[in-house]
Amino acid sequence: MTAIGHVMILASAGSGKTYALTNRFLRLLALGAKPERIVALTFTRKAAGEFFEVILHKLARAAGDPGFAAELARDIEVPAFGPADFLRMLRGVADAMHRLRLGTFDGFFARVARNFPLELGLAGEFEILQEHAARRERGRVLRRMFERVGGLAAAQREFIEAFKRATFGGDEKRLGAQLDRFIDEHQEIFLEVPERDRWGNAARIWPDGGEWFGAAARREPAAQALRTALATLELSEKQRARWAAFFAELGDWAPGAPMGAALEYIFKNALKAWPELAEIMVERKNHALPPGARAALRLLLQALIGQEFDRRLEVTRGIYAVLSAYEAVYHDTVRRAGKLTFGDVQRLLAPGEGGARSLSRVAAEEGRLFIDFRLDAEIDHWLLDEFQDTSFGQWSVLKNLIDEAVQDPTGARSFFYVGDVKQSVFAWRGGDPRLFREIFNHYNDGAPGTIAEQHLVKSYRSAPPVIALVNAVFGAAPAIAELFPGAASAEWNREWRDHESARPQLGGHAAWLYADDESDRFATALRLLHEIEPLERGLTCALLVQKNDTAARLADYLRHEGGLPAVAESDLHVCVDHPLGAVLLALVKAAAHPGDTLAREHVLMTPLAARLAEEGLAAPEVLTQRVLGQIHAEGFERTMDTWWRRLEPRLAVDDAFTRERARQFMAAAGLFDATGSRDVAEFIQFMERHTVREPDAVAVVRVMTIHKAKGLGFDVVILPDLEGTRLDGRRDGLAVQHAANRSVAWVLDLPGKLFAEQDAVLAAHLRAAEADAGYENLSLLYVAMTRAKRAMYLVTKPSGKSTSRNFPKLLAETLGEAGESVGVGKLELAGAWAVGDADWHTRVAPPPVALPRTMELPRLDPAAGSRSRRLPARRPSDEKDGTIAAAPIFALGDRVSTEFGTQVHALLAEVEWLDAGELAVLGHAWAARKIETGVREQVLACLRDPGLAAVWQRPARVARTEVWRERAFEVVLDGMWVTGVLDRVVVEWGADGRVERATVYDFKTGLVADEPAVEAAARRYARQLELYRRVVVSLAGVSDSMVGSEVVFTWVRRRIVVESR
Amino acid sequence: MDSPPANVRRHFLAWDQPLLNQAAAFLAGEWDGRGPLDLSRLLVVVPTRQSGRRLREALAGFAAVHRQAVLPPRVLAPEAFVSRLIAGGVASPLESQLAWTEVFRGLEFGEFRDVFPVDPPERTFAWAVRLAQQFVRLQSTLAEAGLTLAGVGAKAGENFPEVQRWRQMAELGRRQAEKLAVLGRAGGPAARLAAGENPPPPEGVDRIVLLATPDPLPLALAVMTQYARVLPVQVVVFAPEQEAAAFDGWGRPLAAAWEQRVLALPDFEPRVHLCADPAAQAERAVAVARGYGQSDGVLGIGVADPEALPLLERELRHAGLAGFNPEGRARRGDGLFQLLAALAGLVREDSFAAVQTLARCPDFLAYLRARHGEDFSVARFLAELDALHAAHLPADLAAARRHAPHSRALGAVAELRALLTTGTFPQTAAAALGAIFAARRFDLMRPADAHAAEAAGTWAEVMREVRSVAGRFDDVAEAEWWDVALQLYGESKRTDEKPAGAVELQGWLELLWEDAPHLVVAGLNDDCVPEAVAGDPFLPESLRERLGLKTNGARFARDAYLLQALAACRATGGRLDLLLGKTSAAGDPLRPSRLLLRCVDAELPRRIAFLFGAVESAPATPAWHRAWRLRPRLAAPPARVAVTALRAWLDCPFRFYLERVLRMEAVDPTKTELDALDFGTLCHAALEAMGNEPVLRDCTEAKVLREFLLAALEREAARRFGAELTLPLMVQLESARQRLSRAADVQAQARAEGWVVAAVERKFKLEVGGLIVSGKIDRIDRHERTGAVRVLDYKTSDQPAQPWEAHLRTARRDETARAFARFASGDEREQVWRDLQLPLYLRAMAGEFSGEAECGYFNLPKAATETGIARWDGYTPELAAAAWRCAEGVAAAIRAGEFWPPNENVRADRDAFATLFHRGVAESVIFPGAEGPR
Ligand code: SF4
Repeated sequence: MTAIGHVMILASAGSGKTYALTNRFLRLLALGAKPERIVALTFTRKAAGEFFEVILHKLARAAGDPGFAAELARDIEVPAFGPADFLRMLRGVADAMHRLRLGTFDGFFARVARNFPLELGLAGEFEILQEHAARRERGRVLRRMFERVGGLAAAQREFIEAFKRATFGGDEKRLGAQLDRFIDEHQEIFLEVPERDRWGNAARIWPDGGEWFGAAARREPAAQALRTALATLELSEKQRARWAAFFAELGDWAPGAPMGAALEYIFKNALKAWPELAEIMVERKNHALPPGARAALRLLLQALIGQEFDRRLEVTRGIYAVLSAYEAVYHDTVRRAGKLTFGDVQRLLAPGEGGARSLSRVAAEEGRLFIDFRLDAEIDHWLLDEFQDTSFGQWSVLKNLIDEAVQDPTGARSFFYVGDVKQSVFAWRGGDPRLFREIFNHYNDGAPGTIAEQHLVKSYRSAPPVIALVNAVFGAAPAIAELFPGAASAEWNREWRDHESARPQLGGHAAWLYADDESDRFATALRLLHEIEPLERGLTCALLVQKNDTAARLADYLRHEGGLPAVAESDLHVCVDHPLGAVLLALVKAAAHPGDTLAREHVLMTPLAARLAEEGLAAPEVLTQRVLGQIHAEGFERTMDTWWRRLEPRLAVDDAFTRERARQFMAAAGLFDATGSRDVAEFIQFMERHTVREPDAVAVVRVMTIHKAKGLGFDVVILPDLEGTRLDGRRDGLAVQHAANRSVAWVLDLPGKLFAEQDAVLAAHLRAAEADAGYENLSLLYVAMTRAKRAMYLVTKPSGKSTSRNFPKLLAETLGEAGESVGVGKLELAGAWAVGDADWHTRVAPPPVALPRTMELPRLDPAAGSRSRRLPARRPSDEKDGTIAAAPIFALGDRVSTEFGTQVHALLAEVEWLDAGELAVLGHAWAARKIETGVREQVLACLRDPGLAAVWQRPARVARTEVWRERAFEVVLDGMWVTGVLDRVVVEWGADGRVERATVYDFKTGLVADEPAVEAAARRYARQLELYRRVVVSLAGVSDSMVGSEVVFTWVRRRIVVESR
Repeated sequence: MDSPPANVRRHFLAWDQPLLNQAAAFLAGEWDGRGPLDLSRLLVVVPTRQSGRRLREALAGFAAVHRQAVLPPRVLAPEAFVSRLIAGGVASPLESQLAWTEVFRGLEFGEFRDVFPVDPPERTFAWAVRLAQQFVRLQSTLAEAGLTLAGVGAKAGENFPEVQRWRQMAELGRRQAEKLAVLGRAGGPAARLAAGENPPPPEGVDRIVLLATPDPLPLALAVMTQYARVLPVQVVVFAPEQEAAAFDGWGRPLAAAWEQRVLALPDFEPRVHLCADPAAQAERAVAVARGYGQSDGVLGIGVADPEALPLLERELRHAGLAGFNPEGRARRGDGLFQLLAALAGLVREDSFAAVQTLARCPDFLAYLRARHGEDFSVARFLAELDALHAAHLPADLAAARRHAPHSRALGAVAELRALLTTGTFPQTAAAALGAIFAARRFDLMRPADAHAAEAAGTWAEVMREVRSVAGRFDDVAEAEWWDVALQLYGESKRTDEKPAGAVELQGWLELLWEDAPHLVVAGLNDDCVPEAVAGDPFLPESLRERLGLKTNGARFARDAYLLQALAACRATGGRLDLLLGKTSAAGDPLRPSRLLLRCVDAELPRRIAFLFGAVESAPATPAWHRAWRLRPRLAAPPARVAVTALRAWLDCPFRFYLERVLRMEAVDPTKTELDALDFGTLCHAALEAMGNEPVLRDCTEAKVLREFLLAALEREAARRFGAELTLPLMVQLESARQRLSRAADVQAQARAEGWVVAAVERKFKLEVGGLIVSGKIDRIDRHERTGAVRVLDYKTSDQPAQPWEAHLRTARRDETARAFARFASGDEREQVWRDLQLPLYLRAMAGEFSGEAECGYFNLPKAATETGIARWDGYTPELAAAAWRCAEGVAAAIRAGEFWPPNENVRADRDAFATLFHRGVAESVIFPGAEGPR
């Protein structure tokens, strides 16, 4: 097989990433690679599924269409290929479908982990925790931690200490809530950096010390010194007053508390003069500082800053301690129980100290996990998608395998990765765009040309005007450098290439419009939609915003104000966002918690009240028993369903919405039942959290966050939510300082800017963090603007004089704010910039109307077709009735145990006729066979008992007799299929060779205490015996009157003739 | 089990007709219909229990045509065919599992580095059990092909990568066998192999038939091979004679013959339906079922994708049709299981949570009623439990009982726990259940009771099984035995009789025996059909092949054959519809079954286009619609209220109505710590005690005050929560201590400044426009020199409160507040009253005060530095007048029952009533009397 080579593709938005990746896959196939030896990984299962379909569709089309075949052959550089070859490839892929490895990183990792559980320290199989399950587990772990384990465990003492440190001065009185927040905010970091010494460790943050440390102690003396030094200085009244206030507030100030006005004022101005402090601005006038004062002030400031830093270090360590306490319990009770999140799996596989052995295809390799055998996979080719979103963790799991591929001397293996650093909007969840270059350099520095670099800049998605807008904004290197000084702009501008549209003839429009506030922006968006009428014209349309709740608000606005079918593609809480769901949950709550008057009154305010009254369930006493009973017997889904059906008739006939929600509600309840829990509180929490993503329905205006829009394209895109104060604001939360090799240098609860800026190390961290933020925001806007195929409308405040470095500013700097107004069709809107055809939409022809397909399938004539009759079944042995006491069933005594019964039956079945002497023989035989004494004795007792003799003795005075023992039968009796076993039947023939009579004996080995019990039992078995009798009638082919039946109780040795009914 | 001995003969039943009747006829052979159809000397092996049932039913029907009965053959599934040979003394699955757990818990992992490269986590029982289960499964998989752990190495040959690993596995196997041997037991799989060696010929049988069983247990064939020496053995293949080459001597489809074969699926596109997801498939299938209504037996439904099964059952229910799943339901879903789990919980620890869970088991409630007589109210009991929880957050049963010493029900729980914890499992369990069900009777005619009785019986069996082993395995804790038993019980299946006319939902492997002319099969997606297993840490496909275990290849052949047969026998007069999903329920993409791509290559592109095409898009989701509006009942306005009520009314009249008139209050079963109110009360109690302490009246020593406050706090906490606190309570108490000790400083300073506590918790009543407003003033100070008086209210909210801000807010642009609530002085923006507490305090005390009176808050906030007294500066007579005017306005409104319109601007997470409202409060409600929203 010819060497294929390794490729890195930087694919701009819309330039056909999928196209490139699928073609790569096809090329590999064409060059003879086995499908199962190719791994292609991406982030969503949806995307993976799409690859697979695209591949098949391409092959299918090429197999049938010579023109396309030629095109494809050219694209994948196997010009000789024709339809026949592609058909062959298609068959190959189709047959190997189940062995293909097109999937997600998560899926692939989970698969590997499943194959190496013991190597990874897992106890066998594990289950993947989905969102809701993970939440539930967290709740359980917390509850566990909260429960007192005999007195106050030392661990708990420590925990409280840690907690106090973590929440320093400001104590927290809601532990549960606080912990939950902690875990949300910090758990990921903790899991990335479990090493204690990385947390709030001054020695690591400031390896060569810092002027701040130890200064804390000097605060008081310094303050004194400063006072005295200032006393002699002549100052204006105002200045004195200000200094006085300063000293007053200084006294009260403790680290963490907000600074008083005067304190902050002096503090700031002093820092302006830092470090000389020759003079300081007080009350708009500089006054000099005598040397003594300078020294004192410097000391004081150092002390204040030092104190603040000390506190932050302390807090950071506290947070660590709290998290590790939580994690310890979580690890024991959840992970060790085989419940892992995808994140856990990935961390398990990550090589390195403490981590697993790295994956390898070399069998012998020491300290490696040999995957070929366990995975039945010999992976030669790697295709990685959306590489800018790949995290370092994910990379390090695959690194060794890819190394092996790249370094394969034969060149038979390959590595291909594609992505767009300009679309790295997932940094916050670990996406690491820098890997893109680093990996490239890593291989190419050693051997230039190892990995080929390709850029795709031709957009197959966007029309020229959209592209023009994109280039105008993101190609403006100087403006970007100006707005994002440093790394951010440097990296951006380095990777930037001007885009071009692959569809020059495609008409479209792009514009920047003005609006004052949110309501105005929403209104403008609505006017645009009314003008363009995308749905009527069969155009797809999306409004992209920054936050989910904005999406919900906007969608609501469009539905109500505009009457448009708008869908907020955030996750919908389908179980509680409507009156039905709310009342169903209220019902269970009221039942399980009769004291919950809120839930109860709620129920009484709805149509349910009437139904409860009708069924006499209004009283809490009854309701509780009924509902709890239902839940325990049948689970929540079936229970809720019965109540929904009571309500359904009360709904408006056209209320499709509520009916749809009911379906979703029941489905969710079904999911919960599957967890096995019947806990009402857990159920309600589950239902409240359960969300459903609305299907990408056709013919709706879609409103979603930019993040969700990534990878999608729409004819019309409107961006009405680009406000914000700054683009380079560092994400708040713990500061995590990474070293070049991605190892974590330190973690710190970063002090306020005012303090942090004073310290070289922290300032540097701030700069870097801001650069990242800036870059991510550029990417965000880039993603947003490149979703548009034909028209792109930005709606923001004019930037004007505002100095805040936000999106409007970026637009102002790059597009200019010259313009006054922009025309869109008949509309004349305030705006600054536009390009393309303002009437483009009027030239779009509405699509033909598609006819809905029917769900019905043709039906067969019920009479047709030969088939066996399906009859209701009856098993006489089940034909019990009457009532029995419950308690004895739970008793442990053997005598009622079924095996005892079976044995007794078995022995009795061995007896044909009990002739003289037989008894002894049997006795010995059974003893020899070590039959359990109890069983033996009971049976022998029965055989000896004169009362039962008739059962065993051959009837005298008949021509011929026959006895059936344990005889199974199947028979159809009045439309029922009757099946069972006859214990003992005695058939007697007369001289004329016709059956004279037959008797059915049925043995009951159950424990019956006394005569009355016997009577009762006999009555209970009457129906069963009657059935047996009729079976014998049929089997022996005799008339009904000739067959009798008796039930024999082995325990009390009584036989009772059962009269035929 | 390659080729059978020569005297095993194959018979072919052509697949142009359904199998079932042909099979019956074949077995009946020469029978002339005179006398019963006697097949009692025949042994028939069929694929599954279910298919055996179908066969016997068919035979009954067959004989019934001649109005005769059947003496049936012995019909066995391959599994039973083998296991019936196993003599006594064989380890039960439970015993094998426990033996494994012992092995693992005692294992020196260092000696087994190829199996356990890293040391597993601490060896808990749970850990060992999960590992054991995996090994038990592994053993039985191997046993299918007549292998043991020890056998693998040899069979696989030297040149495979994990030789060493399997050597060690063999050793592990040996150790488990040892453990069992000690118990006088043989390992299950081993015993099966032994049994297969030279089985005694079955008694009373003179012919064996292997009937339409495309993938029998290899071991079963081994046995049959030996029977074949003494008995005629017939293999019946459901396929036309001319297909003979496609099957081996045992009637198994040959991989070679089927992997490339083109499957004849006539009329493909109209009969293969690409649906969105399992739900859509269910709808589709049920649509058909609805069409047939009750006409039984015309339609069969097959379910190849387990995910679709529950959805089908649901859809059928909704369509008013009975569905029947012959597989039965796992008892994990039973009511009894819930009760048992609750009891196990109580054994593990007597935490109050465990009590709450048990208290919501109907069987337990029934027990209480029986025990305490009919006057015992279940509802009251549960309400009391919740109240107890809310008030005292008891950690465990003991604590709970200290707070409710007279609760008979809690007494019952305690007794029950005593039963559960004295003695050993299962006796303890039996005793407890005996008590709980003492007064219960099951009426076997009532299905519910019949099930209950059956469930009870099953559990009793489980207890006996555990008892039979319990003695032999030490170091298994009580709670762990419960877990073991619960697992056994939970996994056992509950099978109900098929309701007449119910639609059977059959698994893929059962369908060969379904003879309904119209068959609809859901879930024709890859990995379901053909079935494929992947990700086995011990037996990857390549090794399975070497070992002769069932491979995916074999499964493909089997399923290809099944599909072909299902289609063929409906080619005339019947119909086969295949449903497949585009995505799973979770929305993950699914692939169509590869079997559907087994067409001539020329046809393939079209199939691809069809099977990977778009599903008919679901209709756009309907717009949000309000099913109904809430109708709160009408209740008389109150004649007296607490001061706080005024604030509530000002905030939102309607919520005031819900809270103060309808008295709607939620229970929070998940409460684990004090809420703001509890926390306040706790601090108040300590401060009140201080105020009441004459000795401290003039105390200026923060230290002493502090000690007193903290002591008082401890007393109160102990009184309310007992000596032993849960973690959150400790943290919260800690917080309270911090706040109080800072308060001590403030108090000391206040006293130093001359303020003396004059009264605490001072009750008052005030008549405001016909409404009695009552309240309690936290504290009143009098200044020892000026005689000035000040009214203070303790505030323990995290943020310090400022009287002015707490009582007034600036009017909004579109202010909706009632006139009396507004107030403008001079040129400032108009103000709106939010609260009237302090003004009413002053008013109430007005009579008593001579000199000037001021008011304010005593803040005990989160940040220690902000603790202090916040005076209401500039509380002018003018303000006082305005406040009074507002109070009168509110009072009048309340008396007049004006509780509308509601405040629409309450944040959902701050709104106790959020669950009632959707898209606007006014929109959600029809309020009696109110004009209601337009
Ligand atoms: S001031 Fe000193 S002496 Fe007076 S009460 Fe307080 S502690 Fe006792």
